[in-house]
Amino acid sequence: CNSQLDEINKNPNATETPQAPYLLTSALKQGADLYWGSESNFNSSLLFVQHWAKIQYAEPDRYDVSNSSFTSLWNTGYSTLITDLNTILNSQDNQVNSNYKGIALTLRSWVFLLLTDAYGSIPYQEAGLKITPAYNTQKEVYTGLLADLTQAQSLLATANGSVSGDVVYSGNISKWKKLVNSLRLRIALRISDKEPDLAKQAAIAATGDAAGLLAGNSDTFQFVYASSPQQNPASAWFDTRDDYRISKTMVDKLYELSDPRLPVYAQLPSDPSVGKYVGGANGLSNSDANSQGFAKTSKPGTYFLAPQSPAVIFSYSEVLFARAEAVARGYISGDAEQLYKSAITASLNQFGITDATVIANYLSQPGVKYDATNFAKSIGIQKWIAFFGQGLDAFAEWRRLDYPVLTAGPATVLDGQIPSRFFYPGTEQSLNGVSYKAAISAQGKDLLTTKLWFDAK
Amino acid sequence: SAFLLHAQQNISLHGQIIDSKKVPVIGATITIAGTTNGTVSEADGSFRFSIKHALPVTLQVRAVGYKTQEVDVYENEAVTISLKDQSNTLDEVVVTALGITKEKKSLGYTVQALQNKDLENTKETNLLNNLTGKLAGVRITNSQGDMGSSRIVIRGETSIAGNNQPLFVVDGVPVDNSQLNSGGATRDFRNAIADLNPEDIESLNVLKGPNAAALYGSRAAHGVILITTKSGKGQKGLGITLTSGVTLANVATLPEYQNVFGQGSNGKFSYVDGKGGGVNDGVDESWGPKLDGRLIPQFFSNGVAVPFVAHPDNVKDFFETGVTLDNGISIAGSDKKYDFRLGVNNQRQKGTVPNSEIKKTNFSINSNYQLTKDIKIGATADYIVTNAPALPGGPSGGRAAGVMLQFLWFGRQVDINELKKNWNNNWNNSYYNNPYWNAYYNTTTQDKNRLIGDIHLEAKIADGLNFRFRTGTDYYNDRRKYTIKYGTSGTPYGSYAEDAYTVSENNTEAILQYIKKLNKDFSLDALAGFNLRNRSYANNYQKAPRLAVPDLYTLTNSRDALTSSNYFSRQRAYSGYASAQLAYKNFAYLNITGRNDWSSTLPSNNRSYFYPSVNGSVVLSDALKIKSKTLDFLKLRGGWSEVGNDADPYQLATVYNFQTAFNGNPIQTSSQKKLNADLKPETTRSVEFGLESSFWQNRLHLDFAYYNTNSFDQILEIKTTASSGYTSQLINAGKINNHGIELQVEGTPLQSRHFKWNVAVNYSSNKSKVKILDYAGQIQNYTIGSSNGVDVLASVGQAYGTLYGTAYLRDANGNIIVGANGLPKADPQNRVLGHYTPDWLGGITNTLTYKNLQLSFLIDANVGGKLYSGTNRTGNYTGVLKQTLPGRDAAHGGLSYYYPGNLSANGKKLLTGTSAPNGETIYDDGVIFKGVLADGTPNATVISAQEYYKASYNISEAYIYSSTFVKLREVKLTYNVGKRLIKKIGLQDASLTLTGRNLFFIYKAVPNIDPETALSTGNGQGLESLALPTTRNYSLNLNVKF
Repeated sequence: CNSQLDEINKNPNATETPQAPYLLTSALKQGADLYWGSESNFNSSLLFVQHWAKIQYAEPDRYDVSNSSFTSLWNTGYSTLITDLNTILNSQDNQVNSNYKGIALTLRSWVFLLLTDAYGSIPYQEAGLKITPAYNTQKEVYTGLLADLTQAQSLLATANGSVSGDVVYSGNISKWKKLVNSLRLRIALRISDKEPDLAKQAAIAATGDAAGLLAGNSDTFQFVYASSPQQNPASAWFDTRDDYRISKTMVDKLYELSDPRLPVYAQLPSDPSVGKYVGGANGLSNSDANSQGFAKTSKPGTYFLAPQSPAVIFSYSEVLFARAEAVARGYISGDAEQLYKSAITASLNQFGITDATVIANYLSQPGVKYDATNFAKSIGIQKWIAFFGQGLDAFAEWRRLDYPVLTAGPATVLDGQIPSRFFYPGTEQSLNGVSYKAAISAQGKDLLTTKLWFDAK
Repeated sequence: SAFLLHAQQNISLHGQIIDSKKVPVIGATITIAGTTNGTVSEADGSFRFSIKHALPVTLQVRAVGYKTQEVDVYENEAVTISLKDQSNTLDEVVVTALGITKEKKSLGYTVQALQNKDLENTKETNLLNNLTGKLAGVRITNSQGDMGSSRIVIRGETSIAGNNQPLFVVDGVPVDNSQLNSGGATRDFRNAIADLNPEDIESLNVLKGPNAAALYGSRAAHGVILITTKSGKGQKGLGITLTSGVTLANVATLPEYQNVFGQGSNGKFSYVDGKGGGVNDGVDESWGPKLDGRLIPQFFSNGVAVPFVAHPDNVKDFFETGVTLDNGISIAGSDKKYDFRLGVNNQRQKGTVPNSEIKKTNFSINSNYQLTKDIKIGATADYIVTNAPALPGGPSGGRAAGVMLQFLWFGRQVDINELKKNWNNNWNNSYYNNPYWNAYYNTTTQDKNRLIGDIHLEAKIADGLNFRFRTGTDYYNDRRKYTIKYGTSGTPYGSYAEDAYTVSENNTEAILQYIKKLNKDFSLDALAGFNLRNRSYANNYQKAPRLAVPDLYTLTNSRDALTSSNYFSRQRAYSGYASAQLAYKNFAYLNITGRNDWSSTLPSNNRSYFYPSVNGSVVLSDALKIKSKTLDFLKLRGGWSEVGNDADPYQLATVYNFQTAFNGNPIQTSSQKKLNADLKPETTRSVEFGLESSFWQNRLHLDFAYYNTNSFDQILEIKTTASSGYTSQLINAGKINNHGIELQVEGTPLQSRHFKWNVAVNYSSNKSKVKILDYAGQIQNYTIGSSNGVDVLASVGQAYGTLYGTAYLRDANGNIIVGANGLPKADPQNRVLGHYTPDWLGGITNTLTYKNLQLSFLIDANVGGKLYSGTNRTGNYTGVLKQTLPGRDAAHGGLSYYYPGNLSANGKKLLTGTSAPNGETIYDDGVIFKGVLADGTPNATVISAQEYYKASYNISEAYIYSSTFVKLREVKLTYNVGKRLIKKIGLQDASLTLTGRNLFFIYKAVPNIDPETALSTGNGQGLESLALPTTRNYSLNLNVKF
């Protein structure tokens, strides 16, 4: 009778056995959805950095948000991505080869990085292990991630076996190894204002590793979407809604620099009488936002709104910008200006601009030229342009480099400030209250304007 | 047969049962006291049966609605037994657990019964709504309009996480009352018990809580509702009953709209294409120009400027008068060897939302046949066919299907008739469709076939020893189809989905019952039984997300891969149980029960669990012989019980789910719910005491109950921080206490030959407290539900159902802190905003009878408790509500101000008298938010009314209201055609009833909505969100029997 009842309670709907290739595909797809989707990207960070603007229901563009506005990064990041990646990492060695584990550790580091960049202190060491995990400081997290990535590098080797389910790099382990080093370089610069020695050490290690860094746009770490219902999240959004425009700040900057990326980044307004690109202003009251006219303002470019548009997560151009900055900071040797030019060129190429004359003309403009006395300004502005659509990283780099200088819109609600972080999900107060309180007492109030540790200025 | 005792002599007892007016009583049960030997009286009240006892014997006569009577028979001759009419019966017979009838006075717990007369003719299309206000301690909420679901909870929520609704048992067969939804569908489908036809119900008994329901073991924690359907017992020859009724329904509580300002923003609006081509014509809010007849192009005018005027009833006029037609016929008959009742009832409901319709037909049969002298067999069946060609849109059916969602944004100038004339016309193309387009094209259909039935056998094995066997089923198929038409805003290619459920529950039980008069003083009534329960559930959902060609609704007509899901579950439980009642001298009773369950859903070492209960009662008025002219009856009762609950299927091992593959690569992801291999059953322990008394020949009757229930080892799917790896985990923990009182008072203040005034009052108050969540003390809050940032929590130390969310930031003196921009600030720390559970519930029914005319009216009240109103939140934001008028212009108290240099962007606004220094535009819609600046000085920054009413959109506290209400629930006027007239026209009975339900609020605290409408039938109550309005119903019913 007992065994009969046991048999009845055997779940026929799902499996208790995870498969590493399927978990990997899931992590890549859901990670891209998260990074490129509405809540963490175009309804928050892309507005904060004034890449996009809201023309209707402008509350998030005025930073009038609640503490439930940023829960998907936290929930999907931890309970979907990190849990699935931990499942791969915890698999028996005879079930998966070490390349799966190296990839899982790399992706997990990327997710932790997104989390700490956005919220600050986060559960890291105890994440996934306790019901109420303690938070770690940003310093602890970044340091831990550098060690994790070093370990990931050692797990990855083409000879260790083939990997399936890798819908980004198709199992090309050498590209994964380049991504690992590129992430180490990204982290090195994140902490450069606070821990310059460690940053330098990490930058040297990352750039000196034999596997190399992302070395061309074909190495760019990006998730290429398919057709509906697996289309790009921004594309899906614009299928049904029409409340975003490219930001006026971005359009004005691109006009100022005669930037050839403008027709890629923006569409002409649907009212043909306008005849030029017009961005939506950030931080307006709903009525002022509306009054700009749906037909008289520019939507983001069709490049970004096609079903198959890629979710770019780590571009070749970012690697070049990072190398330029590492040189400028004296961490590694090289020609910062040349790297800076290459970075811009890589970005132009990424968006289909390959005409050498056009590129040369652009690079020679005074407003574009590398300013060795203020590398943060040159790199900050160009990185901000190159990151178009990558809200979370654009937001992190803008906070760190403090360029371009952005001004909060007139109807914003933070007394003229622009957010410096995301709120923790409101549910942290009810579900992990003790850890949460300890974290904010160390980090500062759970406000949008509280500066994070890495954001030194 | 081997079962039968052979006696030396057979005596045939016969006679007649009549009531106090000498009218024959049909269907009375006549037994030899202390045995089950007996019969049932015929239509003329006559009875006859043979006994093997020697005379004298004591006959016991029981009939529902009459006092139980005992008569000693000394001679073998016809006896006439006159039963005392008993509206507040002291010796009333009630149905208890497992369908066993017992004298009410012998019970140590509360059972409250409703008879057919309390239920029929009120014609609520959801049976549960018929019960509102009539039962002490029972709380009913209905969530959505006239075709939605209802929720019933008895004596508060005893389970933190599980279903808190009672078990429903129809003629001994447990039936399903789930409300099924999958695939992201948000339409509110009726809960399954609404399938029953009130006309078929003879009586409905409420076993309140664990003490009464202990014999149901793991299903008893939330009480049991026992429904007995009508049978043909006692019907001499054929009786044919025709019932016919018509019910008209109107929406009862619509938001109060403002009619001064129309669509637009900042006072400006002009229509070109409805999506931003004109001036603010993509804006779906009413912050536009004054509705003063100025000329503005509108959606129907092809660019021509036409008068911009209010259409005050543009929402009301969308709704139609709902019409429900009910027609039924039943045929009943009986003879010595058989009885039967066949019924068919057709109900056709046209809803208040255009195009909405539900058709339902019930076929019922209830039959018994005396196979031999000692063996009776029978069967019951209720076959219900429901066909809904279109159901109204749900609360958040999305903009493509929702109803009230659109109407909380609807421009106040919108002429609904222009939308009705042409469904391609649309007032706003950014977000909406023409509401008629939604209603007629974007439909949800439902087809449901359900069979509830059993076959049963009763056999007399020996004197006092009976055997009962029953096997019953509740089986249904429920198929739904969702269509969204090509060209629908937001779903330009349309979509089509099918959602199919099959639910089945089978129960087979065998019971031995033994009744024995032990000696002069003591008698015993004992039983032992066994039950086998099997339940299965299957769901299959498929959707074509974008159609290939318009107007063809098939799953293959798809541009994309189908999205699909399916789920199957089954569970089994074995149960053994026993009970014994020991009676002493008809005034003291002791009842003991025990049940052991073995459930498939628990791990094998925790699978078996035992539930005992004990209760007793003493009729003090008899025991102490204190009966007087004043005091008729006084009974004390009390008991203790332990019951519980098992888990849902498949809660022991964490799983990985598959999602739609990506480019040929399967996708597998961890379930975000961590399961638990060591689950134990939940336990609920309950103590109950009560007192029942009656005075002045039963002119006044009181029933008081106190209960205290502790539930622990609850199976909780606790929400956990995602950083634990899972967003929820299943644990066995928690303790919640509920205690409360219930009072029922019934009296007859006036009674004369032709006139009677009867009053029935019920009152109940339940207090709950969440004591513990996890035993380690790490978890302080359990999230029951959430909406728009407001969580409903079970929070340690608080009452169940804490509303928790964003509050205004306040200073030490409680003043709201306002920023330099004039807008209030939110406190980053979430706060407790109230509790949804009410302080007390009450109902009062007055019944006035004059000759053949009866008038009754029911007023009920729900006092205390809070709710969060999404309707008020949205309506304030959009400026459509009347409450957004103050401050919107000078006439409504608005302050005048201007922007220096006319630059609104600089945000600086100055108060002004009549002129601005540089001739800037002066606005008159200024408002100052009441509050203080961070330094404590009063806020003086002027903001526009539009900003003012939007300022608290993300501050939950602003939209918390008291749920208190008092409602005139029901008025019923019945005319019973006089007996003499009936005879003359050859009928057995005839009556005409006029009923009004949900007539009006005598008091309510929350504006714009009916506080009874809640978001769902789950535990996450107290969250109102753009619900369909409830309806006010008027019905006329004719009942003829011949």
